[in-house]
Amino acid sequence: MNADDWLRAFAAELYQRRVGGDTARHVVAEAATHLREGGGDPWLVFGSPQAYAAAIVESIGTAPGPRPGPVRLHARGITKRYGRQVVLRDASLTVRAGQIAAVVGANGCGKSTFLRICAGLVSPDAGEVTVSGRLGYCPQQGGTADFLLPDEHFVLVGAGQGVARGLARQAGRAAARQLGWDAENAVLARHLSGGTRQKLNLTMSTLAQPDVLLLDEPYQGFDQGSYVNLWDQLTRLRDEGRAIVVVTHLLNQLDRVDMVLDLTPAHQGGRS
Amino acid sequence: MNRLVTVAEMTLRELARRRGVLLLLLLMPLTFWLIRRDSYVGQSVRALLLGISWAVSTAALFATSAARELEPRLRLAGYRPHHLYLGRMLGLWALGLAISVPFFLLTVVDANNLRYGGIAVAMLCCVAVAAPFGMVIGVLLPRELEGTLLLLTVVAMQMLLDPADAGAKLTPFWSSREIGTWAVDHTDDGYLTRGVLHGLVVTVLLIVTVAAVFAVRLRRRRHLHHVPLA
Repeated sequence: MNADDWLRAFAAELYQRRVGGDTARHVVAEAATHLREGGGDPWLVFGSPQAYAAAIVESIGTAPGPRPGPVRLHARGITKRYGRQVVLRDASLTVRAGQIAAVVGANGCGKSTFLRICAGLVSPDAGEVTVSGRLGYCPQQGGTADFLLPDEHFVLVGAGQGVARGLARQAGRAAARQLGWDAENAVLARHLSGGTRQKLNLTMSTLAQPDVLLLDEPYQGFDQGSYVNLWDQLTRLRDEGRAIVVVTHLLNQLDRVDMVLDLTPAHQGGRS
Repeated sequence: MNRLVTVAEMTLRELARRRGVLLLLLLMPLTFWLIRRDSYVGQSVRALLLGISWAVSTAALFATSAARELEPRLRLAGYRPHHLYLGRMLGLWALGLAISVPFFLLTVVDANNLRYGGIAVAMLCCVAVAAPFGMVIGVLLPRELEGTLLLLTVVAMQMLLDPADAGAKLTPFWSSREIGTWAVDHTDDGYLTRGVLHGLVVTVLLIVTVAAVFAVRLRRRRHLHHVPLA
């Protein structure tokens, strides 16, 4: 792990421990300056990112996490069959404003189907979903147009909300920057790498300022830095009062979420 | 209105960037024209009209298939179904007109003794029918290959059927053939009237079909309830 990786991991730890945004940036900048001027291996100078973040938290304290707000998404009794196979059985989830929920489970257990039902793209055989406010959805793949530029995607999505072209472009580029991507000089979507294309996908889903954000494994193809940026952005959106549901199979990120819905069938050890 | 125009514009942008496909699509009407050019002008005009219909409906099929994954999220972003299909149709009609102009000029320059107004109307009918026809195939068949094969079958059938046969009137591009006959063979005005009427009826029927399929596919599901922000 080089100094940049260490700093990234350190920043992620601070966010995870709810050190306020400005304070976290300041502490990371100080550590970076110290490493640049003094040199040396960050592991020898500061120790592990986790240990150093814990020490920082102990000395400066943490920003209080925002209290969860009113219910934004309430899915109850969701059952879905494909032919004779029951994919989802009586799945329920309630997410409030200012919360991140993770939907986990084995391959084929219906995570994406559950999310598509919550988005209203697929009908369940039983159950209901109530959404309060505007809904945003980021599919696992697809959802972009091969022969359009990123800016044109922003304009297209923005027009749906009646947003002027210039404003939509600006908002899209700003959201892309949060993920460490400069969308201004980008090429056609079909020429983007898998990870960058997924950033476009994600940016489109946040562009309309949704109150409920549904993300289906949004990090596919992301490198380590982009992955950290994604969780930073999700944390920021949560702190702004959004309700977020993320389908994920990366268990090491679960400690950054507020609740977990495990859709693995009970006989396979699931908790749903 | 802004949503319609934006979808139309993006459809045009996407298609204009598929240059290879566009060139190949343009090649077909041109080849049809050139093959029949020395023998009988009527056949070359009819083949040209069929080639334009093929080109526009194939472009519509590609555009519709490509947008299949994008449309549900545009629906969530605030578009209504009619914004999506009418916007795309507008873009395809604009593209069809742009394709038709050089071919119309070709008939003016290269063929004599035609009712050129009739050729223009026939081309308009081709474009009007082809865009929703390609979209219908695109929404009903999920893969481009299947859609292209079906389109090929319809165009081949159109080419082989005797236009006087009652069954030929059930084919989508019969109108352009009828108007083409009026324009080339200087037949009575009944050909023009029947052709225009057929073109109008088929276009309306196809638009209604596209609208129905979009309305079902992008409908608000009954299990999902939206409540205002608390």
